[in-house]
Amino acid sequence: MTIHLSIVLWLPAVAGVLALAARRFAGWVTLAGSLLAFAYSVVLLIDFNASSGSLQYVTDEAWIEQLGIHYKLGVDGLNLALIVLTTFGFTACTLWAALERDVARTPQFFFWMGLAHSAVLGALFAQDLILFVLFFDLMLVPFFFLTLIWGPTPRPDRVRAILKLFIYTLVGSLLMLAGAIATGVLSLPNEATTFVLSDLERIAMDEGSQRWIFLCFAAAFLVKMPAFPVHGWMPDGYRNMPLPVLAVFSAVLSKVAAYGFLRVVMPLFPDAAAEFQMLALLIALASILYGSAMAFTTTETRLILGYSSVAQLGFITLGVFALDDAGDGAQGAILQSVNHGLVVLPAFFIVGLLAARAGSEDLRDMGGVAFRAPVLAGLFLIVALATLAMPGSANFVGEFMILFGVFDVKIVIAIVAFTGVVLASVYMLRMFIRSMHDRVGPSVDSRDIRVRDGLVLVPLVAAILFLALYPQLPLEKGEQTIPSRVQSARQVLAGEEIAVDPREAAAEAAEAEEEAERAREGEGREP
Amino acid sequence: MTSVKTFAWLTLLFPLAGCIVNALGYRVLRGKAPGYVGTAVLFASFVSAVLMLFALQDLAAEERHVRAVAWDYMAVGGFDGQLALLIDPLSAFMTVTITGVSSLIHLYSVAYMGGDRGYARFFSYLNFFVFSMLLLILAGNFIFLIVGWAFVGAASYLLISFWFRRTTATAAGIKAFVINVLGDVGLVLGTFFIFRGTGTLDYLGAFEKAGEISGGDVTAGCILLLVGAFAKSAQIPLHTWLADAMEGPTPVSALIHAATMVTAGVYLIARMWPLFEESESAAAVGAIIGCLTLFVSATIGLVVTDLKRIIAYSTMSQIGYMVMAVSSGAYVAGIFHFYTHAFFKALLFMAAGSVIAAMAGVQDIDRMRGFRGAMPFTFGCFVIGGLSLAGVPPFAGFVSKDEVLAYVADRGDWHVALVVVGYITAFITALYTFRLIFRVFFGEPSPEARELEEGHLHHADVPRNPMTGEEEDTDVGFPGPEHHIAEREGPMKGAMGVLAFFAVFAGFLQIPNVTDALDTFMEPTFEGSRFHEELHPSDALTFGGLAIGAAFSLAGIAVAYLIWMRRPEIAAQVRERFRPLHTLFVNKWYADEALDRLFVRPAAWFGRFAQQTFERVVVNGLFVGGPVGLVRAGSAAVRSRQSGFLRAYAALMVVGLTGVVLWLLIRA
Repeated sequence: MTIHLSIVLWLPAVAGVLALAARRFAGWVTLAGSLLAFAYSVVLLIDFNASSGSLQYVTDEAWIEQLGIHYKLGVDGLNLALIVLTTFGFTACTLWAALERDVARTPQFFFWMGLAHSAVLGALFAQDLILFVLFFDLMLVPFFFLTLIWGPTPRPDRVRAILKLFIYTLVGSLLMLAGAIATGVLSLPNEATTFVLSDLERIAMDEGSQRWIFLCFAAAFLVKMPAFPVHGWMPDGYRNMPLPVLAVFSAVLSKVAAYGFLRVVMPLFPDAAAEFQMLALLIALASILYGSAMAFTTTETRLILGYSSVAQLGFITLGVFALDDAGDGAQGAILQSVNHGLVVLPAFFIVGLLAARAGSEDLRDMGGVAFRAPVLAGLFLIVALATLAMPGSANFVGEFMILFGVFDVKIVIAIVAFTGVVLASVYMLRMFIRSMHDRVGPSVDSRDIRVRDGLVLVPLVAAILFLALYPQLPLEKGEQTIPSRVQSARQVLAGEEIAVDPREAAAEAAEAEEEAERAREGEGREP
Repeated sequence: MTSVKTFAWLTLLFPLAGCIVNALGYRVLRGKAPGYVGTAVLFASFVSAVLMLFALQDLAAEERHVRAVAWDYMAVGGFDGQLALLIDPLSAFMTVTITGVSSLIHLYSVAYMGGDRGYARFFSYLNFFVFSMLLLILAGNFIFLIVGWAFVGAASYLLISFWFRRTTATAAGIKAFVINVLGDVGLVLGTFFIFRGTGTLDYLGAFEKAGEISGGDVTAGCILLLVGAFAKSAQIPLHTWLADAMEGPTPVSALIHAATMVTAGVYLIARMWPLFEESESAAAVGAIIGCLTLFVSATIGLVVTDLKRIIAYSTMSQIGYMVMAVSSGAYVAGIFHFYTHAFFKALLFMAAGSVIAAMAGVQDIDRMRGFRGAMPFTFGCFVIGGLSLAGVPPFAGFVSKDEVLAYVADRGDWHVALVVVGYITAFITALYTFRLIFRVFFGEPSPEARELEEGHLHHADVPRNPMTGEEEDTDVGFPGPEHHIAEREGPMKGAMGVLAFFAVFAGFLQIPNVTDALDTFMEPTFEGSRFHEELHPSDALTFGGLAIGAAFSLAGIAVAYLIWMRRPEIAAQVRERFRPLHTLFVNKWYADEALDRLFVRPAAWFGRFAQQTFERVVVNGLFVGGPVGLVRAGSAAVRSRQSGFLRAYAALMVVGLTGVVLWLLIRA
């Protein structure tokens, strides 16, 4: 039992509250909170015992005992890398917002940023289904306000976009909440209700209930990603968010949805997951193709990135539902979530820099920006090549694992999905060339980045390069955990009896948890 | 063993270091400094490559497969991807050739790119390219083969689009990149098939288990590897990017599009021989496509009028010989031809660059004439390169091309037909090479040549894009204000001189019945290969082939002399007589149009459909319009009672939750 995770979880929110009082220094206070959370998460990453597949640094308090809802947090190989991505992304975007001098950001802005940070961390840490749902829904609240108040577009547009986003997520959230409650109620009809995930995992629910609860959760996650064809909120939402907010929204929030599939859906509803595998793979494939096609026809730079996210999330979904023997697809999906987050953050930042030089965010107004901006061009090039998953980037490793996972199981889908790989090179290079290269646009003022911009951009690019050299780091942290998340669904698919009695496995896992905790305390190591 | 590894890493890291220094130091390095840095690291890399080769030779023959591992790269689940190199005679020989030729091309560029405003960037890219190429060659597993493969594609994109404000250059760049990505996809999918059968990504492990892969998988895998090879080596039908790639500066064409990158496909097939020997049909595909390419591109080379594009098509054609050789089991012959070709083709491109500089950037041979007197050194180099390319004895290209054809002929059966095409093409090769030489260097000097004879290098008043005639300036992103010719620049002369020497004498590495140094050297790599042991052309085949080759190339030169020197009207008559054929050749056998119809237009149509129709009608209309309308109506009702939409949200939530709880209660 440790308090570490609670500290990491609430630090940013506390900093956000303090920011309300800090007035002029609001940005820096929130930044300090995010930075501390980031540092803490890096320590967790280093200290994390990768050879153990069980939860570590667990906090478990009964919260609403009558209903069996616990305040249970924990870290394992599944969420570790995403936690570091979250703290890193929020730190970068808070720094970016704090450095923006030409836009008025009141302390309130930073309060919402801090709250959003905590909410996302909560959704990732949560080991209780209700806690997960609450944090998952809480995540959106700050973004509503951030968009509504600080969006770059006229207010009526923002309101409309928010309304759209609301309706989509409302439907998803309600379905998910219903599914979560049903899971708790239906799982243990004769025992006390519990929502703790590790308890729920050891119960085999009947297939009929699994089926509809699966659909509830899937709807919520697919909307959040977004996946084709429920991405209708995305274009309006993306157009109307302030860039630093959009960057973190696109980089982090969509990953929580992919994570949700592996944390909740796969182990809890394995029969349904196996049954709907084909449907999910087809939705993922459609997202890849449709997202790519939209990305190479639109001229709005934000939407190129937006639709490329739809395509990339399609790859991630493909990996989640690959259900191959070795779990390569799922491991690739988590790696790819981290990678995509890391490339989207600098990409949106670059959109901001391009817009400042061309006077608009439309590709047609750009051209030749690289003329007097070699540093910007170089950094953008690295980001663009990583985004199109060029071999040598960690994005390629993720894609390779995902596609091999699918190839192993459904070869035709993998081959069609490769179209998305080719199309990615078309839309990213098109964006790079039409903004940076060709004749200098009439209203383009080509100038290189300032030191201030470099403070945000260079660490992000450095992170991309580091992972490109050593993707093994996130991979080996997840090796023990991630394949086991999809194991039961895979066994259902293969028609095998679920090998280990899940009850025993869960009991063993709990024992191992305690043991790991004891060992940690015995060694006197503090994360 | 350790020294082999150390030298291998050094060979690889020198160009990378040069790339980084030039990229980060673009403000600090003044004047020609980036050029000297870039060239120095390449020479250092060459020296360590040679030392690596000697260290490898010191090992016992059966130990000449050295694996050097840096760290685990993607070693989870079933994968065993490490950052690993494999040094064996094949990779060592290619490394030495590539670093050697590359350092000469760097040296040439020091002077040739002199006036360009992107000087440091150029050398940074050039170094990066060599690093990528060496990674491709030295990679010890499929992962880093793919990484090197893609890096080479990216470097080539960057260099083709080097003059990035030229729209023709950026268009050529994206074309090259996308076709290369298509090749990457082939390579990755091929790797999947092979990995599925062998369970390892490591070369040596996979080759050992090559026999265990199911027949369908090994054929599918090899054909997909060939897709990668075709894209990179500009073989039909993925060849259309190479001619456009001539938009890049000339040293780039020499380095990437002649000497090194485009031979990657040849290396790939030779490297994967244990797999290709398991699949008869995949090897046959390679041999036939290679043969087709060598013929088709030679016919195109005969009619186009752009100086660099003619040489580019000749490159495709020569690579066709190599691909045909390695796919037919004549591995050493294919590698031998790669080695001689690297020298004479780089030389030809350098000489062409010198002529283009004298024309102030113009590349159309219709406007060039009589440069012989004005540029004697360039002329001499061009002729040496041309004789070697045409396969005139005793130049390097003569020995290697005839070795290719003799070995392929020794396969017998239908391979003999390929050899016949090979000899016919040898005639066409001599024809187009000397068409070029006679038209550019002989005859009445053009105004530019005259100006040069009077001691003044031609200079255009307004720089223009040679393809479109658009006006340009000389700042970053366009060619610089000055041009440099070999006659006046020491570094260019030095580089071309060395290459000219090798274009003549490189063939002496392996002469039938005299020496088979290369064959012996390569033995450890191809040990156990069926074809490597079986194929031994008889003396009759070898010397008969040599005689036929010499006769065909000399005949080609004679015909060229007749047409373009003696009776210029013949060319027009022939063109009139075979109008449809000429149209076919000039339009490059309509390959661009075919790719456009098959892939580009459908993709563009799908994109437009998604953008203009589907998103509007289905996604926004059906999925958004419906629910939004519903909520609008609901919230309008609520609003009439002085409420905002946040309350509507809360209300809906309560209603929904109640419904769910009720339903659960009923069920329970």
